[in-house]
Amino acid sequence: MTAGGYFGRALIVDAGTGTSEVLELPDRILRAYIGGAGLGAWLMHRLGAAETDPLAPGAPLAYVFSPLVGTPLTTSAKFAVVARSPLTGMLTDALASSHFAIAGKLTGYDAIVVRGARPALSVLRIDGDGTRFDDADDLAGLTAAQAAGRLRERLGRGWRVAAIGPAGERGVRYATISHDGRHAGRGGLGAVLGAKRIKAIAVRAAAQVAPADPDAVLAAARDLRQRSFGPATAKYRELGTLANLLAFNAISTLPTRNFQAATFDEAPALAAEDLSAMRRVARHSCASCTIGCEHIYKTKDRTTRVEYENVFALGPMCGVSDPDAVLAASALCDDLGLDTISAGGTIAWAMECAERGLLDAPWLRFGDAAALIRALTEIGTGDGLGDLLAEGSRRAAQHVGQGSEEFAPHVKGLEMPGYEPRTLHAMALGLAVNARGADHNRSGAYEADLSGDLDRLDGGAAHVAAAVETEDRAAVMDSLILCKFLRGVFTDPFGEWAGLLSAVTGWEVDRSELHRTARRIVLAKRVFNLRAGWQPGDDWLPARLLAEPVRLASGREAGLTAERLRAMIDAYYAARGLDARGRPGQSQLADLRLR
Amino acid sequence: MPDSAGVVLAGGRSSRMGTPKAALEWHGSTLLRRTVGILARATGGPVVVVRAPGQELPELPKDVHIVDDPREGKGPVQGIAAGLGALEARAEVAFVSSTDLPFLHPAFVRRVLRAVHEGADVGLPIARGYPQPLAAAYRTTLADLAERLVQAERLRPAFLFEQCSVTRLDEAALRDDPVLAALDPGLDSVLNVNEPDDYRKARSQPAPEITVQRFGVLASAGASGRQVQIVHAATVAEAAAAAGVDFSGGHVTAALNGDQITRDGQTPLAAGDTVFFLSADAGG
Repeated sequence: MTAGGYFGRALIVDAGTGTSEVLELPDRILRAYIGGAGLGAWLMHRLGAAETDPLAPGAPLAYVFSPLVGTPLTTSAKFAVVARSPLTGMLTDALASSHFAIAGKLTGYDAIVVRGARPALSVLRIDGDGTRFDDADDLAGLTAAQAAGRLRERLGRGWRVAAIGPAGERGVRYATISHDGRHAGRGGLGAVLGAKRIKAIAVRAAAQVAPADPDAVLAAARDLRQRSFGPATAKYRELGTLANLLAFNAISTLPTRNFQAATFDEAPALAAEDLSAMRRVARHSCASCTIGCEHIYKTKDRTTRVEYENVFALGPMCGVSDPDAVLAASALCDDLGLDTISAGGTIAWAMECAERGLLDAPWLRFGDAAALIRALTEIGTGDGLGDLLAEGSRRAAQHVGQGSEEFAPHVKGLEMPGYEPRTLHAMALGLAVNARGADHNRSGAYEADLSGDLDRLDGGAAHVAAAVETEDRAAVMDSLILCKFLRGVFTDPFGEWAGLLSAVTGWEVDRSELHRTARRIVLAKRVFNLRAGWQPGDDWLPARLLAEPVRLASGREAGLTAERLRAMIDAYYAARGLDARGRPGQSQLADLRLR
Repeated sequence: MPDSAGVVLAGGRSSRMGTPKAALEWHGSTLLRRTVGILARATGGPVVVVRAPGQELPELPKDVHIVDDPREGKGPVQGIAAGLGALEARAEVAFVSSTDLPFLHPAFVRRVLRAVHEGADVGLPIARGYPQPLAAAYRTTLADLAERLVQAERLRPAFLFEQCSVTRLDEAALRDDPVLAALDPGLDSVLNVNEPDDYRKARSQPAPEITVQRFGVLASAGASGRQVQIVHAATVAEAAAAAGVDFSGGHVTAALNGDQITRDGQTPLAAGDTVFFLSADAGG
């Protein structure tokens, strides 16, 4: 019998033939990988994604749900979209929260996988009547929001939609997939769907699934809901993640002008503390969430969702301080369906290239708001620099050469988030070794740097331990799935998560099992990357960050040397039981249950 | 290996004070905790506390290294030998301080350390009319020489200075440092407290003037928002209280001068400091 919270099967849809089949998911696999990002990693192994070009018809893309989806547990209406990334060539998994999670799971599957490609732009529909493809000619070129709106109107009540924007259709390597305005953002999943000529996926609930112990789940949900109103989530509720911006600026952790500085003199112009009072028009919650972190700001002619990462990437990273321009750029990314971090990072790299005379684009300068908007527009249309910048900073730098690779702001091809590694040494390690690339959601090691419990400027053993621990926590949260904004309310994270999983599934899971699960998931991602061509040099940081120190407000210089990073990576490999080249042994491989 | 470290000699008898000076209250902290914190801040390296055998010490940060003075009653050179010996493989230079300098400023420590970084074996301030061997910088390789002097019962610091290169820093030389001149113009860094009256007088002085700024949700609490506030505070906890920030619940951290981040309310502050209060869950 399948455990509570699961259907025990995945739907595999072949877009080329229009057929589908069911892949049974035995309990031993579900228990080993839970769901979400973990189960997605296993599925990608099982379906041979590592050996397939991410934009080829045969490449699989999976929507993976979790046992908690559909329960009353706060923040649990989440899913992972998982594929081999066209931006990094490695595994990517992007999470989003929306009613799509509940409707998608209640089609009767723990995961929906799409392979193959349509002959023409199409919509995939899945519900109790099965799967079918509809022509989507009329949706071509629309924003994701427009396409989703039109589909909901056409299909009627109960349908939930995932859609790509023009960037996904055009194959921009950092295109997103949008779900009620929430993006599966990182790694170019929109391009993978676009390569299959699928504009949208619509799902409608048709089945039911119950937890093993409904009373225990309800009690846990009540308790968690109450705790979600406390001080641990106040920041997200009151100002949102944009509250980071001014604080990060004060502690020299705000990457500025393509990592040429760690402070931005004009940061106060973009501060949540002031902008929120002047521009915030609403605060929203994701589906099944009690935190309410979505802060909606008004721009000149519309509203847009504001978070630290989009403001950082389109603001300080590009030297732009005009809030109207930054919010307009963010809204344009939403319309095109672009990952704001990769878009901002790639444009910042191009601005530096243009200023150094490496790109013939005299209009492209740091701080020029009009240039930022023009660059984004060209990425959307393919005009001018658009095709080059659509490739992301790594490929673009390889094309331009002339030393521009040294300051291309990426790890494994994924553009860096707004956390300065030179002043956050645990995070520096987390960014370098994480399977997805430079990413703050799969490695939350910055928590340790900012906790005051270790010296953020003196990376060593404590930083390695913190990087391992936060990566493990992320692996479990991303597989259960629970929102990371909830992480501060757990006093015994692994123990409490084991309790939730036990109540939903009926398994007797304890914290030590969940620790082992975390390590298995982290390793499964690394092994996927090995199969996809990962080399030891991929676990590294951009050369600039290891050569140019930054200055703190105290007057002290802070930096990160290659020797220190090497030592931390070596210690990380040892802590993960890997060999000196970052590869696992046979016994670890057997535990992955890939055969 | 870091360039600099700190040594605090805590093993004196405190006979004139009548109570152990190390444990004297200082703005909700202790004199020893303050001195240790100032040296940690100023040097960026490890801090060693040298105590008498079996001496009880007040609570200190967990990374402070405590060593026992192997022989009691041998005076400061014995303590210097023990402290430098504990640091010899861990730092090149150490600022050696007695425990009873409540106004010791990080800018003073850095200025004195510079004398050794520039080539001397010892940087010896001469301030307020006296040489200050217990507010001075020493090359850690002097540990062996200091030990030999103790064994030969040559127990005064002057014997040590006879056998190494010493840069003497008079008040003019000290005040040549513009940062030090601005932040400790009276060179109060070398004021020590030996008797109860010294302590009472020092304790009645106003706490140093510092700047506080709150960010994020902390800025929305209270009337002044994220405006800069000037307050008097000798510790991070005092600064938090003065700024209306609840520093006790673990949800707030403090960044000192935009540099190190701490949750330790006893972290000492000195004139001219800026404290940023942040949400402990900073990040995405």
